[in-house]
Amino acid sequence: MIPSIIIYGLVNSVSLALIAIGFSLTFGISGVANFAYGGFYLLSGFLVWMLLNYLKFPFILAIVTTIGVVGLLGFVTYWVILLRVRGIPLSEVIATFALGVGILELFRWLGFVTYEFTLPYFKKGMVMIAGVPVDYQRLFMIGIGLALVVFLYFFTHHTRVGLAFRGIAQNERTAISLGIKSDMTAALSLAFGSAMASVAAIVILPLGIISINQGYEVLLIAVAVGIVGGLESVPGILVASLILGYAQVLTGVYLKPEWMMVVYLAAIVLVLAVKPSGLFGKFKELEERV
Amino acid sequence: MGKKGFIAFVLLGLAIFISLPQAAVAQLKPGDPIVIGVPTALGSIEGRDGWMAIQMAVDEINAKGGVQVGATKHQLKAYSIDTREHEPGIPVQDALTATEKLILERKPHVIALGNFRSEVLLASMDLMSKYKLPYICSIAMTPLFQKKVVDEYDKYKYCFRNALNAPYLVMYLQGVMEFVKKQFGLSKTYIIVQDTLWAQGTGKGLEKWYKENGWEVTGFDAYALGASDFSPSLIKVRAQKAQVIVPIFDMPQSGILLKQARAMQIPALLAGFISPVAPENAWKVFEGEVDGMVNVIFEIGPVPVKAVPKSVAFNENFGKKWGNEARMNLSGHGPGPSYDSIYLFANAFERAKTVEPDAVVKALEQTDMSGVIGRIKFGKDHQVIYGFDPKETALACAIQWVKPGKREVVFPEAVAESKIKLPPYMK
Repeated sequence: MIPSIIIYGLVNSVSLALIAIGFSLTFGISGVANFAYGGFYLLSGFLVWMLLNYLKFPFILAIVTTIGVVGLLGFVTYWVILLRVRGIPLSEVIATFALGVGILELFRWLGFVTYEFTLPYFKKGMVMIAGVPVDYQRLFMIGIGLALVVFLYFFTHHTRVGLAFRGIAQNERTAISLGIKSDMTAALSLAFGSAMASVAAIVILPLGIISINQGYEVLLIAVAVGIVGGLESVPGILVASLILGYAQVLTGVYLKPEWMMVVYLAAIVLVLAVKPSGLFGKFKELEERV
Repeated sequence: MGKKGFIAFVLLGLAIFISLPQAAVAQLKPGDPIVIGVPTALGSIEGRDGWMAIQMAVDEINAKGGVQVGATKHQLKAYSIDTREHEPGIPVQDALTATEKLILERKPHVIALGNFRSEVLLASMDLMSKYKLPYICSIAMTPLFQKKVVDEYDKYKYCFRNALNAPYLVMYLQGVMEFVKKQFGLSKTYIIVQDTLWAQGTGKGLEKWYKENGWEVTGFDAYALGASDFSPSLIKVRAQKAQVIVPIFDMPQSGILLKQARAMQIPALLAGFISPVAPENAWKVFEGEVDGMVNVIFEIGPVPVKAVPKSVAFNENFGKKWGNEARMNLSGHGPGPSYDSIYLFANAFERAKTVEPDAVVKALEQTDMSGVIGRIKFGKDHQVIYGFDPKETALACAIQWVKPGKREVVFPEAVAESKIKLPPYMK
């Protein structure tokens, strides 16, 4: 049982990290908590499904198109919705949450509510690892999760846009004085975050079905992982994903599966009570120490 | 009486009038339609297909001129409302409010199909009592429904159910388990249910039976509505070498359990109920991963059974009316009894010669009719009696998915087309 727990705990952790990393990236750079994140995640799943089934796109083309469209939607969301409320956190949350709910409920209204909506595996089959069967899709998930982290590191350290992201994240006013455009950078961060939601959906959804409620669950996961790890910290997201991923599997195996969802909520309450910035967060660290 | 006294009197009268239940007028005038209210979870496959089956029955009856009630014939008219009760997080009160809205706006004479969740069904029985509405439930499965009818007959006599209930589901599953034990020597099981009243009740009933009949129950897990990761249970299934997994789920996400079990190569027979695995198109949807699974079809009709010609006709006619894709999507729970419920009501109106609720209740109690689901008779607890012989009772059945994507009826023996086989991954 131990090898199974280690392997499926890791799989669960990587899926949490994949889900949360886009949300964290946007917040870390622009300070916008994109509560439309769950909507974008589910939109990505349905978009791939529609491109495959209605327009008969090849799988790769459907994936690339979806990531592009959802990224663009994130970009447009900033200019159309968020620009007017930028800097007013409550309004940002309300605006993005309304957009997310709108997307999710639109699909419900359109009748995308049954079990028929599934995405294909990248590759069927499995391998045995330490006597535990693991399918290729889960291995892809782990691989893509790691690749995304490596990509993010190089992107934010070695490209102009990435350096602008970091500049804005570290000190917006100083970054502006150096010629970095704040709004454009924020819009791009929203586009990147949304595209990452899309990547997460395309990798994770083939393991199950696309159901509306996952949109809400994904938002809860992203927020929980972000709060535990520190909303703006990528290393924090990774550590928090491991903690929550294994805590969930252990809860399901040794306690009761119906308590698995409680792990997120308990973690949020605990971290907010003890260290509100999260394990690696910096935003309120000084206030916390004082 | 002074002016103030008169106003107070009028207001009192108005208050009394408003507080009185405003249901349909029981007396029909010539040309009036008989109104059927259908409050249900239209977003669930059971609710969606049940509603389609009801419209089909209504159209069939209307095409023949309607229902003879005393001296006049009346057309049927059905109205639905979406209670959304299958969705996680929807409170019982919201579903009841939707039901009452339908009752007040459409003023139905009877209610068909009805509640999806048992918790809502139990609460809605008071609504039916308040408005004196004969009600045939065709989805929710808790046996507490029958207990309420028996315990407080005068209050709840309006409520009937023609769908399978949880104890009957246990009865069918017992039959399947007896077979696999005798045939293949399987005796270690693991029960995984969704955390709802009917599924928990079914799981617990089965667990009790297992323990009394020499089985080892290696685990019993419940998952919240909407859960999408079942790996903790599957890890334990593998570790404890369970031979049979009994899933009891009607939420759309339950198809994930099947996919995860196959991905993790769990060498155990899946035998129970996973709602998305029941329809004819499940093989395609799950890309063949349903191979070997034994799934109970709660009421025949979605699976045509040759021994019951009306189930075959229903299946074919559903395809003609709604298209072959809709037929292949037919849920394993709800459509057959929903369709039959309209004929049960029509039959009761004709025999009672009125739509007056108490007379309709009496007529329904005396029902003995052949329908899509077999022979339909209500017990004293207003539950249709299910058994293994469709000439005597209503019928559920178990199917097994086999290559190349076929559902074979494997239980009960009276209607079986094949015997249960161990799936390829258990040999």
